[in-house]
Amino acid sequence: MTQPVMQLKEVQKTIKGKPIIKGLDFDIYPGEVFGFLGPNGAGKTTTIRMMVGLMKLTSGDIYIKGNSIIKDYKQAIRHVGGIVENPEMYPFMSGWKNLIHYSRMIPGIPNERIKEVVQLVGLENRVNDKVGKYSLGMRQRLGIAQALLHNPSILILDEPTNGLDPAGIREIRSYIRRMAAEENVAVIVSSHILSEMEMMCDRIGIIKNGELITIQSVQEALKQTEQREVSMEANPQQLATEIVTELVGDDISQSGEMIHFVASRAQIPDIIKHLVNGGVDLYSVDVKRSTLEDAFMDVIGGDSIE
Amino acid sequence: MNNFVKLIRNEQMKMYSQITTKVMVITFAILILAFGIFQKVDDSFLSGGDVPSGDDWKEVLQEQNDLLQGEDGSREAIQYPAFMDVEVNQYYIDNNIKPTTFDAWDFVQMNKGFISIISLFTIIVAASIVANEFKWGTIKLLLIRPISRAKLLLAKYVSVLIFALTLLVFLYVFSFVVGGALFGIDSISQTYVFRQGDSIEQAPIFAHTAFRYLLSSINLVMMATFAFMISAVFRNSSLSIGIAIFLMMAGNSILLFLAGREWAKYILFANTDLTVYLEGGPMFEGMTAVFSVGVLIVYYVLFIVLAWLFFTKRDVANA
Repeated sequence: MTQPVMQLKEVQKTIKGKPIIKGLDFDIYPGEVFGFLGPNGAGKTTTIRMMVGLMKLTSGDIYIKGNSIIKDYKQAIRHVGGIVENPEMYPFMSGWKNLIHYSRMIPGIPNERIKEVVQLVGLENRVNDKVGKYSLGMRQRLGIAQALLHNPSILILDEPTNGLDPAGIREIRSYIRRMAAEENVAVIVSSHILSEMEMMCDRIGIIKNGELITIQSVQEALKQTEQREVSMEANPQQLATEIVTELVGDDISQSGEMIHFVASRAQIPDIIKHLVNGGVDLYSVDVKRSTLEDAFMDVIGGDSIE
Repeated sequence: MNNFVKLIRNEQMKMYSQITTKVMVITFAILILAFGIFQKVDDSFLSGGDVPSGDDWKEVLQEQNDLLQGEDGSREAIQYPAFMDVEVNQYYIDNNIKPTTFDAWDFVQMNKGFISIISLFTIIVAASIVANEFKWGTIKLLLIRPISRAKLLLAKYVSVLIFALTLLVFLYVFSFVVGGALFGIDSISQTYVFRQGDSIEQAPIFAHTAFRYLLSSINLVMMATFAFMISAVFRNSSLSIGIAIFLMMAGNSILLFLAGREWAKYILFANTDLTVYLEGGPMFEGMTAVFSVGVLIVYYVLFIVLAWLFFTKRDVANA
């Protein structure tokens, strides 16, 4: 087993007597994309701010490559690059000067490295323009460039696709996957958009009301949801319902010409065979994969925030 | 150390990339130039007419002194309205110091008043340098680097001082250049004669003006540090600028209002003008230069400690 690159140990945060984070305990490994998922107000941003030292921990500790963020802040933060919420840059300076600015704050970043990251995020043509003239997508790219300057082992991106158009989202997604795969960087991504997380992440931690509810690998989560929602247009309906009930139980609903039920993928051919042999005419069969979204909703049980 | 220099370069780069700063520097240059031209055009503004600068200046000054000490009627014949002080005139004669005409040096000395404008600009810069990072949201990217918050804060504070010093040197040099162009330079090294309290003193003009500039900058440094502290504590530039400028303007009124109190001499504004110890006396009984410097140091340390405490200890929660 590889060494975790970041470890959260019993992290708690209390603000004005109110517990915001009630004890987080998990590890992040190199080369993985870790999704941090939860409804608004669950404590995602607070946790991320604690990971980068913007907020102090009330109790517990965070270790980055073995360095405590409390005791060895400088050693710990050296391995972290990030964007916290929006990619805010100095609007009155060019993208290049913004990068120079951040490069001066960490020793040993030559100008070649700056050029390299500019190329990596594809900003070569606009890097000398003032950031004030950039679109949100370009600022997001500059934000990522800034985060990558010092070859961090952990990349923390808070809501990286916020406000981007679909093309921008896809681009960011491919950067993130590439960073993890090629540079063995651990990427922590927070979001409340599930479909996006599903496509981007290897593991997803779900947080609600300051508590980590579950950590799932995306592969497993999808396996768990082997169950499919099946809708069929069948005639005669009554006969079809009876046949299906025998095979999958009585959780069947009807609407108009359609019957709906849940079955595993493996069961579907068998069901169709029985229906056809039983003399039912099938006009359409529609199979929907039950997605992570449903799993997520199951886990957090609605949207309530304490 | 190298690291710290880089941080200061960063701050300077950000400072001078902003339009506000450019406007301030340009406005300042225009003000000095305009003031010079105004004086050139309007003669009555000059230190009052001719100066006895011929070879016979000693006789001329002596004549003027005789007139000044003579009958009332003879005063109308006075040629040099700028030399009305008999004792000073005598000092010139006794010490063989030839009076100089109004030139670049006098202009430099006169422009000491512009330091209050530098104070104003420095307060704006000091109040913005921390608060703006919060306003822009860039504080988050600034603080997630392997640099302690205290060091970042110090770099910002030193940058403010560098800004003020730059403007001070600029004021001095630019005044000399403008003064030289408009009024000429009588001579590079002059001896300046002035009354200090009851006695008459002389000093080389450069040392004298430089010293006065520095003394006048004490108020500037204190107010800028105050604005910087408010900015670090409240993270809001408008508030910091407002409070600091209000106090700078109203400082003396506040002082007059509280003048009767026992503790009034401990108020910051009672101590920022150290020139009172050179000319005449302090505002309150029992104040000495050492006392004032002591009070200033206490305030200064207080401002710095407050700024440091709030900047380094508080969470960045909603920037």
